[in-house]
Amino acid sequence: MKRLIRTIQKLFPARMTASAHCDGPCGVYDPASARIAAEAVLSMTKKILAIDPDDRSHAVMNSLSRYITIKEEQAQLAKTDLLILWTDYFKPQHLEQHPDLHDIFWQAAKLCSAVKVEVSVEKAEELMEVIKKIHTIFWATKGREVAYYTAG
Amino acid sequence: MQQSNCKEILLWLTRRRQRCRVMGPSMLPLLSSDDEVLVDLLAYRYKPPLVGDIVIARHPTRVELQIIKRIKGVDEDGRYQLRGENPDSTRNSPVLVPLSLILGRVTSRFAAS
Repeated sequence: MKRLIRTIQKLFPARMTASAHCDGPCGVYDPASARIAAEAVLSMTKKILAIDPDDRSHAVMNSLSRYITIKEEQAQLAKTDLLILWTDYFKPQHLEQHPDLHDIFWQAAKLCSAVKVEVSVEKAEELMEVIKKIHTIFWATKGREVAYYTAG
Repeated sequence: MQQSNCKEILLWLTRRRQRCRVMGPSMLPLLSSDDEVLVDLLAYRYKPPLVGDIVIARHPTRVELQIIKRIKGVDEDGRYQLRGENPDSTRNSPVLVPLSLILGRVTSRFAAS
């Protein structure tokens, strides 16, 4: 049954979608959620690269598997959070004030995909930089100065 | 939520269920972003939705947007209060919708895992 469902999902993607994000009137958005996910990706990438590839012990392979899983999950989460911010929070007037907005989000989304499939500290750091730009633009649109910080 | 069984898949194959992909975190931990569910679009043709049902609805102010939420209650005007499962309130906003905007009931998770 599982194999059947997996095959169906692969061959025939669902055409109908339903939004399950903060789509209501609460108006609570914050790029911090994407930043935290991207930081996790950076951390997991560093941990993966720190593993000795010649060490095939069960413990190391278990750790490697966990790092990869978390990296991919967090990369996807960062992408989802950024896309929500892009499509739901930002409005045409923001684009007038920040004409490079679409390019920045597009770049961020592509980097999320890249850090998910690759093991690249450079790209993970690049993603953090782009999220920092988004942080600056986001809070500028709210007329507030919020210092950018990282947990790591 | 139950996984899609043979009956559910048969209903999907006969177009009595529609597949729908969830996008976003407001239904966590029950449903994650990119999970798929099966939806009965005729579920409320003859009987009203019940509190506790997970439904697909049109957003009341953004009709192009379809949302997935759980029915938490009904107000005195007959509007349904929908809310996600996510305990993190910043990812979970309540929505009030009339029956006409509720499109169908989620019947199972269409999942391979």
